[in-house]
Amino acid sequence: MSDAIVETQGLTVYYGKHRGIVDVDLSVEQGEVFGFLGPNGAGKTTTQRVLMDVIRPTAGTATVFGKDSQKDGVSIRKRIGYLPGELSLYPNMTGRNFLRMIGSLQEKEIEPEYRQELYQRLDLDANRKMKEYSQGNKQKIGIVAAFMGKPDLLVLDEPTSGLDPLVQQVVMDLVREAKNDGRTVFFSSHILPEVEAVCDRVGIIREGMLVKTERVETLTKRQFKRVHFEFQNLPPADVFAFDGVTETGRDGQTVMLEVRGGFQRVLETAMPYGIEDIDTPPVTLEEIFLEFYDRQNQGGNRA
Amino acid sequence: MLNLFRHEMRSRLGTILGWGIGLGMFGALYIGVWPEAGEAMQEIGDLAIYQAMGIDMTSFAGYMASVVVQYVPLILGIYAILASTGTLAGEEDSGTLELIVAAPLGRWQIVTVKAIALSLVVFLMIVVAAILDVLVLNAIRGLTEVDVTSSELFMAMIGTWPLVVAFTMMGLFLGAYLPSRRAAALTLSVIFIASYFGLILVGFAESLEPLKPMFLFNYLNSTASVFIEGQKPEDVAILLGLAMLFFGLALLSFQRRNVTVRAWPWQRARVGAKST
Repeated sequence: MSDAIVETQGLTVYYGKHRGIVDVDLSVEQGEVFGFLGPNGAGKTTTQRVLMDVIRPTAGTATVFGKDSQKDGVSIRKRIGYLPGELSLYPNMTGRNFLRMIGSLQEKEIEPEYRQELYQRLDLDANRKMKEYSQGNKQKIGIVAAFMGKPDLLVLDEPTSGLDPLVQQVVMDLVREAKNDGRTVFFSSHILPEVEAVCDRVGIIREGMLVKTERVETLTKRQFKRVHFEFQNLPPADVFAFDGVTETGRDGQTVMLEVRGGFQRVLETAMPYGIEDIDTPPVTLEEIFLEFYDRQNQGGNRA
Repeated sequence: MLNLFRHEMRSRLGTILGWGIGLGMFGALYIGVWPEAGEAMQEIGDLAIYQAMGIDMTSFAGYMASVVVQYVPLILGIYAILASTGTLAGEEDSGTLELIVAAPLGRWQIVTVKAIALSLVVFLMIVVAAILDVLVLNAIRGLTEVDVTSSELFMAMIGTWPLVVAFTMMGLFLGAYLPSRRAAALTLSVIFIASYFGLILVGFAESLEPLKPMFLFNYLNSTASVFIEGQKPEDVAILLGLAMLFFGLALLSFQRRNVTVRAWPWQRARVGAKST
């Protein structure tokens, strides 16, 4: 039996004639942090809303904790902390009262000490009315609401949206702590460095279709490598023009390459010009992501 | 479920007092002027327009029924339009509904709690208004002869509740069914206005008599007899039956609804019907 905490099969949502998501098959395992990547409108929010039974699928199934997200929604949602992407709060309610209300609706024991700790770590004054909060502070309220019950599963839709870099780090720390406690996190984002920093696996969604699901380290390993050669004698312009190699630029005596596949031929070609230095800057997930989209736009297959 | 109910009621406490006192003040004003203006009112009471509108100024009881009993649901109807369409549709428009739906509550529980809360809120508003009006009635009792007792006035005002609840549940259903609060409020406003003025038109033109059962105000007794006989049980049954029907339709609509997707029913995703 699968350990999947979240599992979707052929999950499809159409809004009338408009595409939401199409045939999304994904699974999120117990205790992992799963990053759901994609540009705006790709279908990240739709997928998460189906899991929360906010919207209903046109076709396919979604299970959470092995239960049907629609039929067993009530028992499932008792174990989920949810942060919606478009967080709207009651303007005349204080942050504290709102959190108290959410806590009571979740029918869960909330540790006041932990809630207080979240206020402090997020630098949040919960005694003010929502209408007095900036967008960032409203987001902090949403984050406290999602985390305060220490749920088994966190479904977070762009959790760092609108937050300053310091608070973004705190949120990433909270995600890491949840993972260390053995809890599962499913969060969507289009900020790749944060996904790279905390996720075990990522799913890349494009135009409603899941185009790739991979472990972060595998994804970064499988893709191209970047190599910068500093030469004694600058080689001619077309010397690296062969399959699997792209020259991306030159800077003085330095030639910058992107290499897919083996290095043998690259090194053999470079050696005669006298290699002074070799640098291999890391390829970020962002670059991999962009490459994915480029490839898809050029007619690549679904992975 | 109980926690959501508490939240619903707590968030409306100010509204109950505000609308209840406002409504009570309106009635109190009319009751308060009777000792001075009663005679003049009786003189103009024979006007055809008043008769067509079912307004009886010839006695204090008729005046009270025409003004207070008839206007309570008319004014509370405005609240019913605002509150009922603001409850599911308005919360969806403002985005707060998503968090409620994402809580561990069944859709039916959400609609039921909100329906009970709304019904209780309008009931409490009437109670507040009725208490205020009874106080004023007792204050004028020594100044002029009044043929309505405190309990008769109180019960007559409470008797307007089924009509207000029928409109409230209609608004709840429209909010659950239509894509936006604006569409729901507009539809309910048209029905509400048609229900009131349609009945007045029937008073002017006998040929419209067959249409009478369509207008909900037809099921409100706002004549002097209301203080003795109360509302007719069959009328109350019709209004409460309609309220239950619209509550059921609201349950059904909300159960199938994609929250956060503001679309007309025929544009919404249909489970099991994959589009191409």
